[in-house]
Amino acid sequence: MSLLELESVRKSFGGVRAVDDVSCSFEEGEIVGLIGPNGAGKTTLFNLVSGLIRTDAGRIRFAGRDITGLRPADRSRRGIGRTFQVVRPFTGMTVLENVMVPLLVRERRVSAARREAQAALDDLGIGHLADRDPAQLTLAQRKRVEVARALATRPRLLLLDEVLAGLNTAEVAEALPFVRSVRERGVTILMIEHLVAALMSVSDRVLVLDRGRLIASGPSDEVQRNPAVIEAYLGEEPTNARG
Amino acid sequence: MELFLQTAIAGLLLGGVYALISIGLSLIFGVVRIINFAHGELVMLGMFATYWLWRGFGLDPYLSILIVAPLMFGVGVLIQRTVLQPILSSSAIMKIFATVGLSLVLQNLALYLWGGNYRSVRVAYSTATIKIGGAAVSVPRLVAFAVALVLVAMLFVVLKRTMLGSALRAVAEDRDTAALLGLGVSSLYLVTFGIGAALAGIAGALLMPFTSATPTIGVGYTLIAFVVVVLGGMGNTLGALLGGLLIGVVETLAGTYIDPQLPHVVVFGLFIVVLLIRPRGLFGLGRGTEEVGLR
Amino acid sequence: MTRFGKVGAGVFAVLVVLAVPYLGFSEFVLHNLVLIMLYVGLASAWNIPAYGGQLSLGHAAFFGLGAYASTLLFLHKDLSPWFGMLAAIGVALVAALLMSVPLLRLRGPFFTLATLAMVEVIHRLAIYLRSLTRGSEGLTIPFKTGWAYLSFTSRAPYYYLALGLATITVLASWLIRRSRLGYHLRAAAVDEEAVTALGVKLVRLQVAALLVSAALTSLFGVFFAQYVYVIDPDTVFSSTQFSIQPALAGIIGGMGTVAGPVIGAVLLTPLGELLRSSLSGSQQGLSFLIYGLVLIAVVRLLPGGIVSGARNVSGRLVRRRQSGQPASGPARSVGVGIGKEDA
Repeated sequence: MSLLELESVRKSFGGVRAVDDVSCSFEEGEIVGLIGPNGAGKTTLFNLVSGLIRTDAGRIRFAGRDITGLRPADRSRRGIGRTFQVVRPFTGMTVLENVMVPLLVRERRVSAARREAQAALDDLGIGHLADRDPAQLTLAQRKRVEVARALATRPRLLLLDEVLAGLNTAEVAEALPFVRSVRERGVTILMIEHLVAALMSVSDRVLVLDRGRLIASGPSDEVQRNPAVIEAYLGEEPTNARG
Repeated sequence: MELFLQTAIAGLLLGGVYALISIGLSLIFGVVRIINFAHGELVMLGMFATYWLWRGFGLDPYLSILIVAPLMFGVGVLIQRTVLQPILSSSAIMKIFATVGLSLVLQNLALYLWGGNYRSVRVAYSTATIKIGGAAVSVPRLVAFAVALVLVAMLFVVLKRTMLGSALRAVAEDRDTAALLGLGVSSLYLVTFGIGAALAGIAGALLMPFTSATPTIGVGYTLIAFVVVVLGGMGNTLGALLGGLLIGVVETLAGTYIDPQLPHVVVFGLFIVVLLIRPRGLFGLGRGTEEVGLR
Repeated sequence: MTRFGKVGAGVFAVLVVLAVPYLGFSEFVLHNLVLIMLYVGLASAWNIPAYGGQLSLGHAAFFGLGAYASTLLFLHKDLSPWFGMLAAIGVALVAALLMSVPLLRLRGPFFTLATLAMVEVIHRLAIYLRSLTRGSEGLTIPFKTGWAYLSFTSRAPYYYLALGLATITVLASWLIRRSRLGYHLRAAAVDEEAVTALGVKLVRLQVAALLVSAALTSLFGVFFAQYVYVIDPDTVFSSTQFSIQPALAGIIGGMGTVAGPVIGAVLLTPLGELLRSSLSGSQQGLSFLIYGLVLIAVVRLLPGGIVSGARNVSGRLVRRRQSGQPASGPARSVGVGIGKEDA
């Protein structure tokens, strides 16, 4: 049984087919990359999986159960976590409090949640930022907070939406082993990235979306040689510096 | 039966004016992204402007629209420029408070200047009726309805067919991109609020021949406009029109058959019921229901 | 200040507050102090749903319903206002459940508009149901003095009663803010979508906040009835007096904190009374007009209120010294542009 299955999923906005009849499945423990030109529908796909928007057609199954009709909060409780492309920390609350929010969903006691949150932050190397307001942090730091927060929901599947965007080369180099370490904890990862080279170095396999359709799926080197993929990206250079 | 028909028609006609008010509110929200809690007060100002023009110069209410409309447009631009423009980046909560504050200011300014008495306009046709299909229909209501409908249609055309309309729709759709494309977003905001205020003011003028004005009358109109907009689906001109007509009918029937004191209660009750069973709006035509904050 | 110094100052402050009626103030001042307590309570109660970003302008409904519930029972069933408080809470909870329907479906400003509508409606119903409420004539509270009937001939007991209710309310506000509910509400105020994406069942929490807030507000309605002896729909359901003024106190003082509404009420209430008493009858509206101007000014100048404004100032000073990084302001808009700063 796959961890996540999408079956003929469709979503349109106005007249535009953002996600057009996409079917795919993901096994537990994978790191899968999702790439495609701008506007290909990658974030929409994430929004559909995490429940922020509803499908027009098709089904989504998670751990064997149909979650197509479930709302985001319920999907989160089932084990689907996500980060946002434009990070959305709770400003006005400290980093520690940010991580406490998802922990308090399962943990009733505030003091216990506070301890766990500090431990989670320490684990991710940002424990020293616990009392800061996310608005004051660098982008790289805020991204870590966002991931820490998503991890605090104890997800089985983590959707990382352009977690490397805006990072400089050194920061990207730090982030990749970090992504692998998250998988070591037993979290399946699905990542959207524009930094294709970086993504390919860390993924087990890669899915390519173009104009809402899934045009390729397989190990990185195979996908890179796929003519349809090359054509979709025609004119787009793989980048590994600032976005 | 005849009473029913008459009342229903009267309500329908009133509903046209409600639609006009609501569309103004909807337009302002769609483009400027502000819920104008003071919208009813703009109607009230239109009513009083009409009254004073009639009282001071004997100007017919319908003719005074020629003055009231540009006047209220100016008022709208002024409000947008001085009160709202500086706070556009504030949180939604803060914007609410600003327009609530504005509502208080306008109401109490009117109270201070003109006192709390009801003011009416008496013209020759105030009580005139004509027979339509056996029912007596009030002429002022009929005229109000007709004018309102024409304005709604005109607005529809402007939005769909003109450069201005396209610009407004672009800003409503995606403010940032519109700004990047060089559309003068601030100016468009001014124009939008001006139009919204003008429509409200015209509605006030249309109401005067058969309604009495008092400084606190605005609150009721704000609430009705709000209910209409939610029921009809935000961002939807047709929905606002249908919603306005429906609310007009419900309110007037409730006033006649249940109690003259209770029309708002019935309208609010309907509102709650609809929210419970059909949150996308009665007509399901609402384009961006997330915009109206529906979950 | 040392720890001991802080505790000492705190104890001293509490003693002063408790001793107030015996410090020889005039009736006028005492009356104002009672009102301050009333508004401290109302603002703090109002603030509870506001933690979660839900701005109600319909709290006058709970206030008035509380006043009427208690008074009617007192008049017709000879039940002490202590029981009246229980009835008030009951009625307020029902009204809050009704108000939860729009809450379920509408967000932000739309919810606020719905709350305004609700007060209007209840107000009119109160006038309409003359057989029950004697309409605009109002009801008079039976004159039976003593703590059993919550009626007194001097102001001191009223002061203590109001102080007690205010303390309970501020305590509730504090407890909620530091609880699980508080954290989730505060996150929701910043970004509802992000918080539900983290698994929080938000609507339940917002309803809970509203219920608590409504119940507490209704108690002040009971108090008010006992204090002024006569209630009528226009007074107890007054949006400006009992919806907007507490909200204004909360905003000016700072919505996201426990202290904010308290400070706001302490500052605003005497000013409001001063304004009201210095304007003659025909100029009554001016005080509200000034309220409106103050609201607008506050939004322009201090989006976070006084408390966060003060924090902000000291925060800016500290940060500049430490790292030379530009200081950021308090969160101004929901989720917009926050991540774009560095990109």
